[in-house]
Amino acid sequence: MAFTRISAKYPPQIDPTRTPLAYGARAIPRLNRELNDETLLTRQRAVMSLCDYLHDPEHIATALREGIVESLKNLLSDPDITVRQKSTECLFVIAGHAIGRDAFIDHEIIKPVSNLFNDSEDIARQNAHKALEMIAETPNGAEGIVTCELIPTLVDKLKTEHDEIKVLILDTLHYCMRVDTSKALSSGAMKIFTSLLSHELPIIRSKAARDIMDLSVPLAGKDKAVEEGSVPVLVDLLVKDDSPDVIANSAGAIMTITITTKGKYTAINCNAIEALVKLVNHQSSEVRLNALKALTCLSEAPEGRDVLLLFVDSIKERTEDSVPAVVNAAKIAVKVITWKP
Amino acid sequence: MAAVLPPKGDGGTYTFASQPRAVQERKKYRETRDPLIQNDVPSQYGNIMYDRRIVRGNTYAQHTLPASAQPDPIEIQRQQENKRRAMARKRAKEQLRPRSPEAVEGRKHIDVQTELYLEELSDRVEEADVDCQTDAFLDRPPSPLFIPAKTGKDVATQILEGDLFDFDIEVKPILEVLVGKTVEQALLEVMEEEELSNLRQQQRAFEELRNAELVEQQRLEEQERRHREEKERRMKQQHEVLKKEKETAEKIAARAFAQSYLADLVPSVFGTLADNGYFYDPVERDVEQGFMPWLMEQVEIQLEKSELGRMVLDGIIREVTSNRLDLYSTAEDKASSTTQAKSNTENAAPEPSPDTTTVSKFIY
Repeated sequence: MAFTRISAKYPPQIDPTRTPLAYGARAIPRLNRELNDETLLTRQRAVMSLCDYLHDPEHIATALREGIVESLKNLLSDPDITVRQKSTECLFVIAGHAIGRDAFIDHEIIKPVSNLFNDSEDIARQNAHKALEMIAETPNGAEGIVTCELIPTLVDKLKTEHDEIKVLILDTLHYCMRVDTSKALSSGAMKIFTSLLSHELPIIRSKAARDIMDLSVPLAGKDKAVEEGSVPVLVDLLVKDDSPDVIANSAGAIMTITITTKGKYTAINCNAIEALVKLVNHQSSEVRLNALKALTCLSEAPEGRDVLLLFVDSIKERTEDSVPAVVNAAKIAVKVITWKP
Repeated sequence: MAAVLPPKGDGGTYTFASQPRAVQERKKYRETRDPLIQNDVPSQYGNIMYDRRIVRGNTYAQHTLPASAQPDPIEIQRQQENKRRAMARKRAKEQLRPRSPEAVEGRKHIDVQTELYLEELSDRVEEADVDCQTDAFLDRPPSPLFIPAKTGKDVATQILEGDLFDFDIEVKPILEVLVGKTVEQALLEVMEEEELSNLRQQQRAFEELRNAELVEQQRLEEQERRHREEKERRMKQQHEVLKKEKETAEKIAARAFAQSYLADLVPSVFGTLADNGYFYDPVERDVEQGFMPWLMEQVEIQLEKSELGRMVLDGIIREVTSNRLDLYSTAEDKASSTTQAKSNTENAAPEPSPDTTTVSKFIY
């Protein structure tokens, strides 16, 4: 007598929007086959299932071995929105793993992903940017993005995209500029970053300040920052903003710009010293560190040294800080300020 | 319990009110109670089955107290006396009962079961409730459901226990799967995000250090560059100073040399110039330029004149001589002696030369 009751064994999960997964090791090959299917519905269901399946890190390696990445690459140009959106999400999940990023570079997938920057669907664009941001985290990936000539495109997109994507782009650029800053400089990134410093979201302000810091690492960048008038805006953020991230990154940007003599005098003329001295006792260690570094740079100019000699005591207090990096920075700062020719 | 019925016809009826109370159970075991507190226990309700105030059965033999009759006070007193006496008797009897001796110092009496088998002791009387309830009375039975007359053939199937779908049971595993899968997926995603955020945090901490160190390195580089430039500038300056010094020394030397060189230049130049005739005496020059050529010309003219005169004289002499020669030859011919002629020519030849010298002497 067959019972209808199946309580002893759980029933299979049936979701009409997804393909049921095959058992064990067959799951990925089957999904891969269905990803390349002719029928739209099959593709949609497969990509939905795949998206959930990949969240388990154990499945990433198998997926890469079975060539899922190649299939996803083909799906990026699919006419259906759901497929595009979900395939970019899958790529984002894959890009979260080291082997995934390597596979991205091996399969030269950066270019097809960047084609989605002009997608009509917000979510597809966002996922594409997310995936690129993940890739950019490793130096290899960032190099790949730079070689694909994506930096001018990204900088252009900063003007038009909406805020969530702006954050992602700023992150991507941050990693890319570690590899190469000349392209960003030549595409006028400094001007755009400076204009983003007055954005209403603190996260965008802080990331823009951080990108200015990255961009002004080479000499040309520092000169450009002075030219574009970033310094007064940054000093303004130091005084008026209340998000520690924004303050920390602004102080960081100032510290990189003030390496050059021109930068030093611009900052001193903007009263950066008073603002920075107040930040020396900030509760965030990053702010303290960056402020101390910026003061060290500023004190190399004779005018800066004259002013800072009044504040040496408050900087000396920082040599008993709990963070060793701050202690180190404070010691150097005191040494530079009290230096006599 | 000897409550008296109120007089009838007064218009008022007998009323009695009391708080509802649980019926006190009869104790299973006798309790040794302190007779003094006995009165504090709330008096038990009388059983109405034996209450004389309740009319039971027919009323012929009803034995009612005369409503108006006041109880005789003596009677009451007697009754009370009786009651008190009975009580006293009872108390005395109780005290007379033999009891177990008092416990030794440090010990105390407890109740112990001494039966062969222990059994649970409890105060509750074992009881069982039995009841029955008749249906509520209905005027008319409910009209039966209309069931149309059955047609066709009956078919039956047997359904055993558990054959039918039971939602509550069936839904459980499905729900468990749904919830389980969802939670599993959610956990995976949450862990993934958590890992990412942990990584970001580490990255941040690292970047903090990296940026600081990068700036420090750049600052030192810049410092080094400035120092180098300064050094180079200083060196250049020093070089220039040295060069200038050298140049000056050379200049001084040259000047000294030039001075010494030029010291005797002027006289020599003047000497040379004077030698070359740049500084001349106008009179002398006039003499040289104007007078001397004229003089030379005049001299030449004079000389030419004298030469002309000499030539004229020479011509004359030659004329004379040739004439004489002719004369001598004709004379010789005439003499025709060779030896004589020879000695004649030898004597005649030197004669003209003293003449010429005398002429030239004469001219000069």
